Amino acid sequence: MTTETARQVEVTDDGPTSTGSRATMILGIVTLLALAMLVLFGLILSPADENQGDAVRIMYVHVPSATLSYVGCFLTTIGSAVYLWRKSQWWDLVAYAGAEVAALFTAFTLVTGMLWGRPTWGVYWVWDARLTSEAMLMLLLLGYLAVRRLAADYDVRAKRAAIVGLLLVPNVFIVRQSVQWWRTLHQTPTLSLSGAEIQGLMLFSLFIGFIAITLVFVWMVIHRFRVAWLEEQVDAEGLDVAIAERRAEGAVS
Amino acid sequence: MTRHVVMAMLTDALLIARKDLKLELRSRVAMNQVIPFALLVLVLFAFALDPDRGLLQKATPGLYWIAVLFSGLLAMQRSFAVESADGVTDALRLSGLSPSGIYLGKTLSVAVQLLVLEVLLGVGVVVLYGTTVGGWLLLVATILVATAAISTAGTLFGVVASGLRVRETLLPLLLLPVLAPVLIGSTRAFEAALNGTPSEGWPWVGLMSVFAVVYVVAGIFGFGPLMEES
Amino acid sequence: MTLAVVVAQATGTWPFVAASWAIVFGGMGAYALVTVIRGRRLSSKVPPEKRRWS
Repeated sequence: MTTETARQVEVTDDGPTSTGSRATMILGIVTLLALAMLVLFGLILSPADENQGDAVRIMYVHVPSATLSYVGCFLTTIGSAVYLWRKSQWWDLVAYAGAEVAALFTAFTLVTGMLWGRPTWGVYWVWDARLTSEAMLMLLLLGYLAVRRLAADYDVRAKRAAIVGLLLVPNVFIVRQSVQWWRTLHQTPTLSLSGAEIQGLMLFSLFIGFIAITLVFVWMVIHRFRVAWLEEQVDAEGLDVAIAERRAEGAVS
Repeated sequence: MTRHVVMAMLTDALLIARKDLKLELRSRVAMNQVIPFALLVLVLFAFALDPDRGLLQKATPGLYWIAVLFSGLLAMQRSFAVESADGVTDALRLSGLSPSGIYLGKTLSVAVQLLVLEVLLGVGVVVLYGTTVGGWLLLVATILVATAAISTAGTLFGVVASGLRVRETLLPLLLLPVLAPVLIGSTRAFEAALNGTPSEGWPWVGLMSVFAVVYVVAGIFGFGPLMEES
Repeated sequence: MTLAVVVAQATGTWPFVAASWAIVFGGMGAYALVTVIRGRRLSSKVPPEKRRWS
């Protein structure tokens, strides 16, 4: 939690010289409160599950992460589509921010899924349909982010990334479908991750998890978007600013 | 009006496909390098999986499609290396051909090359791995649909990666995860055909058709913006 | 399944729970921190009127 508090200080110090604003500052504080609630309910107040034991506590961060990794993909595809349609940089950068945050949450989903699998199934990895499609999602996102990091002109990079981003959600659907058939045609389906019924305080903890992680997601997408926006400004006008600074120096001396 | 546009697109497509295939026939790179590479992959699989233990026979559909994918990647990378050299992309853009037509033409030429590769690899599998072929209808349908899927996606991502210094590494990174469903589908459909249970294979043919349609549509509409200034 | 549960209870699941939460919270914190630092560094190079949110 130390880094979390560090983050808050960073944001609250002075808005104008950072990617923070009054709205995101409030959002950040609410997010931190929700995360504290998640720790309280997820790790302390909620009981251990009858079947899974304490491993069920991993679900409170795993399931929301998985959901938001897909939300991030939708954001990327929508942003890419609108960019191709209207050529608006704003939507292009939304797509970028969505993909990067989605990749982060996909990584969380994979790691927590494996850490849940080890005590529950006895192995870190099973070729479960959901885990496998999440792994494929990670690879698809890495491909998109590789296009984003190309050393090319903004227009070229954005257009190519938009094509890849546009196809992200269709790809995710096809991959999920194929992996599902692949795992079910030849053998009985493996245990589903949330197979056990979750009730009462445990359900409430999961609910808190969804709220807290969603707030983190929104906060991250907004800030990542602003960083991307600033990057493009620096790229586009870096030269002008440098010239202006030179001029100013000349005027002083 | 729309019929005119479609007709023009198809004429352009045939023009581009003929140009690419003629180029390929003349340069003989596919003949002299890609096909030997594909056969080499088959032999390497035999080295890795001892042919006497029956593993090779069991894994034949998967090995076949992996060989198709990897040697197909080589063919696709060539298809765009040809374009980005000597400013041919600029010439194509100025030629007034419709971008959708260019996309379809390139797809067609890649598909034809893939089909040749697949037939040769099929012969190789029968000869080297001793596969007994059956379920012809499903087999042919799978080959056609999988080829359509690989070439439509490969052409689209090929142009995304084209003209960049990193294209040799970027194209596989973009394309292979996307083609994973096609690999799964074609492998399962082949298994179904060879095991004599074709009913298990047809859903996969359907899935791959959906994939191919998605990519044809994306290619037809996405190629314009990509060609504009890249 | 039952065997797996026995294994789990014998080894204890808390290390896995702790590791999961540490990775998720640590990862979120680290990403947030990196993003904010990058933003501050870039902000100093961009005139205020280009930062539409502040």
